[in-house]
Amino acid sequence: MKLELGYIHIKDIQFSKENKVENSTLYVDPETVKAFMYEDDDVKAWVKDFTFDVARPGESVRITPVKDVIEPRVKVEGPGGMFPGVISKVDTVGSGKTHVLRGMAVVTAGKIVGFQEGIIDMTGPGAQYTPFSKLNNFVVVAEPVEGYQDHKHEYEHAVRIAGLRAAVCIGELGRNVTPDETESFETLGIKEGIEKYPDLPRVGYVHMLQSQGLLHDTYVYGVDAKRTLTTIINPTETMDGAIISGNCVSACDKNTTYHHQNNPVVKALFEAHGKTLNYVCNIITNENVYLADKQRSSDWASKLCRLLDLDGAMVSQEGFGNPDTDLIMNCKKIEQQGVKTVIITDEYAGQDGKSQSLADADPLADAVVTGGNANEVIVLPKLDKVIGMLDYVDVIAGGHAGSLRPDGSIEVELQVITGATNEMGFNTLSAR
Amino acid sequence: MSFKVVHYINQFFAQIGGEEMAHVAPELRDGFVGPGMALNAAWKGEAVIVKTVVCGDSYFAEHEAEAKAQILEWVKAEKPDLFIAGPAFNAGRYGYACATICSAVQTELGITVLTGMYEENPGADLKDKVLMVATTNSAAGMRKAAPTMAALAMKLMKGEKLGASCEDGYMPNGIRRNFFEKEVGAKRAVDMLVRKLSDQPFTTEYPMPSFDRVPPNPAIKDLSKATIALCTSGGIVPKGNPDHIESSSASHYGEYDITGVDDLTAETYETAHGGYDPVYANADADRVLPVDVLRDMEREGKIGKLHNLYYATVGNGTSVANAKRFAEEYAQKLLQAGVHAVIMTST
Amino acid sequence: MAIRNMRDYLILTNNPLVPACMEGHGDFTIQLYPDKSYRDILVLARDMVYEGHTLYTHPLAGSVKPNETPYKSLIVSKAVHGFDMEQSTLIANAIGVVDKFPEVHKDFPEQVLKDFQLIDYSLLAGAIDFDAVAGLSNKK
Repeated sequence: MKLELGYIHIKDIQFSKENKVENSTLYVDPETVKAFMYEDDDVKAWVKDFTFDVARPGESVRITPVKDVIEPRVKVEGPGGMFPGVISKVDTVGSGKTHVLRGMAVVTAGKIVGFQEGIIDMTGPGAQYTPFSKLNNFVVVAEPVEGYQDHKHEYEHAVRIAGLRAAVCIGELGRNVTPDETESFETLGIKEGIEKYPDLPRVGYVHMLQSQGLLHDTYVYGVDAKRTLTTIINPTETMDGAIISGNCVSACDKNTTYHHQNNPVVKALFEAHGKTLNYVCNIITNENVYLADKQRSSDWASKLCRLLDLDGAMVSQEGFGNPDTDLIMNCKKIEQQGVKTVIITDEYAGQDGKSQSLADADPLADAVVTGGNANEVIVLPKLDKVIGMLDYVDVIAGGHAGSLRPDGSIEVELQVITGATNEMGFNTLSAR
Repeated sequence: MSFKVVHYINQFFAQIGGEEMAHVAPELRDGFVGPGMALNAAWKGEAVIVKTVVCGDSYFAEHEAEAKAQILEWVKAEKPDLFIAGPAFNAGRYGYACATICSAVQTELGITVLTGMYEENPGADLKDKVLMVATTNSAAGMRKAAPTMAALAMKLMKGEKLGASCEDGYMPNGIRRNFFEKEVGAKRAVDMLVRKLSDQPFTTEYPMPSFDRVPPNPAIKDLSKATIALCTSGGIVPKGNPDHIESSSASHYGEYDITGVDDLTAETYETAHGGYDPVYANADADRVLPVDVLRDMEREGKIGKLHNLYYATVGNGTSVANAKRFAEEYAQKLLQAGVHAVIMTST
Repeated sequence: MAIRNMRDYLILTNNPLVPACMEGHGDFTIQLYPDKSYRDILVLARDMVYEGHTLYTHPLAGSVKPNETPYKSLIVSKAVHGFDMEQSTLIANAIGVVDKFPEVHKDFPEQVLKDFQLIDYSLLAGAIDFDAVAGLSNKK
């Protein structure tokens, strides 16, 4: 399966009466986007209104609470459309050609639950911790209809769909634009791969998906991941919108849809593919609450590693606490199959850095990459403008009563910052 | 004004002599001696070694209390901004002396300390308490160790924020610190996997907490014929603590005869442990070392008999190395006495 | 580990939304401890695991931090199935994780408390294939 990505560089976003991409600038009419979002019945039923804003790198802007971050893309050749099984039909994606509006994102914000976290600072000390401070962000703030308090599941669904629709609407503007750069990615069949790279170690990627319940879910071709069995997926499918995020808790180590579209492990494995290793495929596995599910899923992941005759496996994680158990179970069982692993995680070592970092551990996990200690305290200065609302900074994880200081600065743990300690290894942040 | 530093070195680095001179008592010299020159030079006048303490390794090991007291007195009088020791590389007793004296200066005088040694040096047991630069295992590594130690020392004296262990060159000390790597995590992970797959050395970014798992022995088939011993790290000792087991960082254990003892009472037993509220253990030490229950089981025929000796130490901050040594010793005694099983209680 | 058997489910919770939405809609038993803390519920479960009850759900379900939400629900077996070393390690480690988060005294607005209840309930429902949305509409 071969996918070509055409990157259209976006260096600025301007609100306009026209909708187009010209000279690396996105001109967009928010009313067009709004109308497209409201074409969905659930959005119509649960979202009272949307407001729009643009946040550019370096601006004194804080976006919070962030729900999801999505990269606008459009499928220009090959089967399927964007976000199959959710926005487009369920056809298999991952081949043909996709245009990417690179350098920007759609950010959905607005509270769903009262303790919602997720901060993107476009400047200052917080900006260096979130990768999204480097993007031009088209921010969509959703406002719920009256009475939504008793219908949070429905409202979360509506905002999730709205964000994806906004990204599809904007991505469409890149359909007829000539990309500034193109890159192609190919996954070979099992036998082809062995024949082409007989001497390279066979490596797979065990991609763990958060799958626990409201605000903790991930969808694969529209299927709730907690209802899935561990399975194989082409890396290019994940790059092409097959996996979307419904996770908005634990801002620092949740994987947004943007992370799935631009999975750094997939990127790093493709870079090494044919040189130091033979990148075979991805294995997606869930992180359920029910303990027997954890056992089944990790048994399955290790079984597939063996069945695929892998020599090595990368394992990435999502979220805090119980996924540590899935991570260690996966690592241990895969190692016991004779397949070597490297795991990527983050740490909750306490504000002083002295506590045990993970909730679970095993001596077989001898190769660990960390995204840093999420409990580290940071002071975020007051910024000129807030997109969204600061109402609940005192109650979010990593905040405390008095987090929001009288001078407008906030003292919080890194865990409130969107993507700060990503467990796919998206960032350079680490700890020792 | 430059920072004042006191440096600690052994007889070898002071060029007094090797093993044959290791007995020399501590002496105080002005200015830098031996390796102090490299440190002093690296600080370019911003900090100066005002005094150097020279002490024989054997002397320190054999007269630790006296050596410590003498050195502390000298350091106290000098009021330095930093006390620096070594580097000791792989010299075991030198490393022990460096770590121990640094720890004493730090806790008793509140002065910032720094030492350096090879990671496997026994002195490195204290790496969570005393900041230590990781060096190679031989003095040939001085050229590399001195600038690292000097730079870190300057950072400490200036009160700057400590970086992550791999940035500032100190041994991981149980405190996790964030920093920015050059490559993103996924790239680092793939590189690590490629190394692991080709059997090249790699360094994990998060070493798993160390496990010392012991496979359990096969179950005892007939408890009614078994001799059971009691052991504890909960510090239960006969009243008055006859063996003076320390309330923390115990250096030894005790062996006590409970022949004819049916019950541990407030009048006869107590705890030496300094790490938990002793009220309930002192009121009834059976709560930690259940002699009463075992006697009942003995009478009821559930167990063959309770061994007449029990072994106790204090597990409060006691080093793993010491704990292992104690158990290795008394395990042999238990074996010789024909004990079938041990109930080990902790607190 | 035992297979799914709803009759063996004993739900330990301090979250009033759990019985409100689930009571009478399955063969499980719910024990509500409104005065117990998040940690207390874990300790309760730990003691049962030590006695040989099976832990069915992960004690740290959800990414909401233990010093953030006051609510915790988990499922243990009604029956004693036998002591399991891995399970007892799991629950003991979970309490260790809770203890490393500093206690923060927060005065939560009523709505935030309700949201915490909702998330906890939803995670519990998700674990055992209980229709969370249906439960909410049947709420007593």
